[in-house]
Amino acid sequence: MEHAVTFNAISKYFASTQVQANRDVSFSIRRGEIHAICGENGAGKSTLMNILFGITKPDSGTIEVNGKEQDFQAPYDAIEAGIGMVHQHFKVVNSFTVTKNILLGIERGKLGFIDSKAERTFVEQLSEKYSLPINPDQIAGTLPVGLLQRVEILKMLARDVSILILDEPTAVLTPQEVTPFLATLRELAKAGQTILFISHKLQEVLDVADRVTVMKKGKVVGTKETKETSLRELATMMVGREVVFTVEKSESKPKNVVLSVQNLSVVNPLGVKVLSNVSFSIRSGEIYGLAGVSGNGQEALVSAISGLDKAFEGQILLDGNNVTSFDVLKRKELGMSHVPEDRINVGLNLQTSIRENAIMGFQRKKPFKKRVFLDPMVCVEHTEQIIENYQVAGAHANGEVGKLSGGNMQKIVLGRELASHPRLLIVNQPTRGLDVGSIEFVHRMLIKQRDEGVAILLVSVELEEIMSLSDRIGVLCAGKLQGELAGQDMNENNIGILMVGGTLDEAAK
Amino acid sequence: MKQPSKTMVLAALVPLCALIFGVVITSFFIMLTGVSPFSAFRVLISGAFGTSGKVWPLLITLGQATPLILTGLAAMYSFRVGIFCIAQEGQYVFGAIVAAWLGVALSLPPWLHILVVMAASMIAGGIYGLIPAFLKVKLGVNEIISSIMLNSIAVLVLEYMVAFPLRADQGQKAQSAVLSRDIWLPQFVQGSRWGISFIIAISLAVFAYFHIWKTPKGYELRMVGQAKRFARYGGIKADPTILKTLFLSGMIAGLAGSMEILGNYHRIMTGFSSGLGFDGLSVALLGQSHPFGVVIVAILLSGIRQGAQLGLQISLQVPRELGGVLIAMVILFIAAENVYRPLLDKLYDIINNRLTLIKRKHNVKEVDHV
Repeated sequence: MEHAVTFNAISKYFASTQVQANRDVSFSIRRGEIHAICGENGAGKSTLMNILFGITKPDSGTIEVNGKEQDFQAPYDAIEAGIGMVHQHFKVVNSFTVTKNILLGIERGKLGFIDSKAERTFVEQLSEKYSLPINPDQIAGTLPVGLLQRVEILKMLARDVSILILDEPTAVLTPQEVTPFLATLRELAKAGQTILFISHKLQEVLDVADRVTVMKKGKVVGTKETKETSLRELATMMVGREVVFTVEKSESKPKNVVLSVQNLSVVNPLGVKVLSNVSFSIRSGEIYGLAGVSGNGQEALVSAISGLDKAFEGQILLDGNNVTSFDVLKRKELGMSHVPEDRINVGLNLQTSIRENAIMGFQRKKPFKKRVFLDPMVCVEHTEQIIENYQVAGAHANGEVGKLSGGNMQKIVLGRELASHPRLLIVNQPTRGLDVGSIEFVHRMLIKQRDEGVAILLVSVELEEIMSLSDRIGVLCAGKLQGELAGQDMNENNIGILMVGGTLDEAAK
Repeated sequence: MKQPSKTMVLAALVPLCALIFGVVITSFFIMLTGVSPFSAFRVLISGAFGTSGKVWPLLITLGQATPLILTGLAAMYSFRVGIFCIAQEGQYVFGAIVAAWLGVALSLPPWLHILVVMAASMIAGGIYGLIPAFLKVKLGVNEIISSIMLNSIAVLVLEYMVAFPLRADQGQKAQSAVLSRDIWLPQFVQGSRWGISFIIAISLAVFAYFHIWKTPKGYELRMVGQAKRFARYGGIKADPTILKTLFLSGMIAGLAGSMEILGNYHRIMTGFSSGLGFDGLSVALLGQSHPFGVVIVAILLSGIRQGAQLGLQISLQVPRELGGVLIAMVILFIAAENVYRPLLDKLYDIINNRLTLIKRKHNVKEVDHV
């Protein structure tokens, strides 16, 4: 059988973030198949697809398309060679009609005038040929996400591509939209398209793909026929067995309940329920790990607990106080601290000094506030103390925070959040993008806080991190708390099964 | 010794470079008129900052800079909270209308009268600042567009007010009645326009500096302006902060209008504003949105205008519009700072490295002596 795409030892290193995104990646995609690429965040899936589409250039290695070696300079070359890509974030002109969007840049017409009738007919025929029904005259901005995605696919098909790359196509869809979308993929494959799609939802992959390649840390773990594999095997491949970090910690001695979340539901601005009916509690002196593939409601949960977003239903209790309707500041005063996922845009203000970043949340408190002024001495001392206690090498209070390394930035955030002696500490992806030394530091810090009686909610997509730190684990899947694990049950298998929507009975098998 | 930070040095260097570039290019235009650029600039400087004659040109410049400092501070506040509101012109005009109206309509003891008029003007300006702010935070209306519209409205309201309700006589010119001498703000030197309002403007600049950099409120407003998501995460509510800051900004611009009426014009007439509100915008931008920068730039701009008029036009018969050319060039080069800022950046690093090297050598020598 001839191959549509063959990757030969592709490697790519990003100097700016010091990440080896791809390492000697080699595998082939058969013509006419649906081929899924799975892996955790940062496994190198998107980089590989960007290389195939000519957005990124590999450091070494070659790509063969339909048996011919190609060296793409830009996406234009890839399209020319018959490769189309649908990005996770759609690139449509909202004020244009569907037809105009699909034919943007390849307009039909004569003498510089657009022949609208011919364009419309073309789109109708195209949509009929691939059975992707759409109204060609509708304005793109009024379409729901599922149809926008269809427009993006048609846009590529209009350019006569035979290989379609879809970057996490189902991540933006509601569960109701997913099933018809998967049917669409099958239709497309039947019509002769080769489809490559990235996903970390394993059930979906098993449902629709012919073969699946699992990637981890930039390398290919293996390629399987979906008929010959199982959810469990894929989960194991994805997560891997090696546990790099072992954190020394004693048995936890949990005391009274600090945080109690009851039947919490969150609805996003688009009206989609991103979190439904989640209940759990965390005790003083306990780390509660929240695992799950990213985008399964973690963001919504953290925002709702910290007060950044409103809860739709349910209650949040902090030390027995109902804080559901309290704003961020009030929750902070009651002892809530939050280390956000995005430390660069949310956790810090990179345009200003370390001092100004370190005093956020303290500016109205004594002794920082002295009559109407901020006491500069207190602010500097506070900052110097964080720098010293957290060993932020080479930093001084008036230095720019943007000049610090990722690890040192995180230390500033952690230091600030812990300086208020919180009762509850929410940490979201605390070690993302950090080097090994900083990761260790952050982990030790969390354990230390736990031993001092802080209740910690640890949200992470890194299973290793969750498993080595947590005393109990909850797993989120599709906005629901799929299950809770404690003690001996906290193993990769169980978490993996819950992460992809399985149940504990299944795991017990 | 505390060394000034790199950002601070660059913040001062950029306007300086823009000024130098502006002078160089304007020299070329001056040469076209057949006058030596050197003598032209000498005359311009003495016309702007000279200290000779009955009324020193410097004092006239300071007098003219007064409303500019205030509208500049108003624009600066808006920029600092991350909103590009340019309604200073409208606020300035409204402050002036209210001053001209209440200045005639009320009869109070003079000191109280002045205070009431100023307070009313400030509130009028503040409310005029709240309109674009409300539209922005509640409905997401682009503040640039709404404030441009509001400026037009203010100017048209002014035309109406002086033509009908406030009109003093049926003479040729549409203007209001002259205020009673009792409530004129004092000028230090007669005919210079330099008076108590200048002191108030400078005090406000100092106030703004302390408010923005030394108080919790100022900290919060800067965080909202620089990093909205960070501020929100930290528990600062952006909307009230923006509303309050724009109210304050409008108050300052309204005060500028009020003091121009009370201290300078003593009545209001059509075409009262010669674009001082808009100039405040350039002043804030050129002054790097820093209160002291605003004061310096406002004085500099007024000086160039004054010098171009008194010096170039009167003594050298060079058209005073060349002063406008100089100002425009400086603004252009500030706007184009991205073109040469990287160069300055590199230059700074090189010089800094040299300096530290020299210092280190110096230290080593000292150690040798020991």
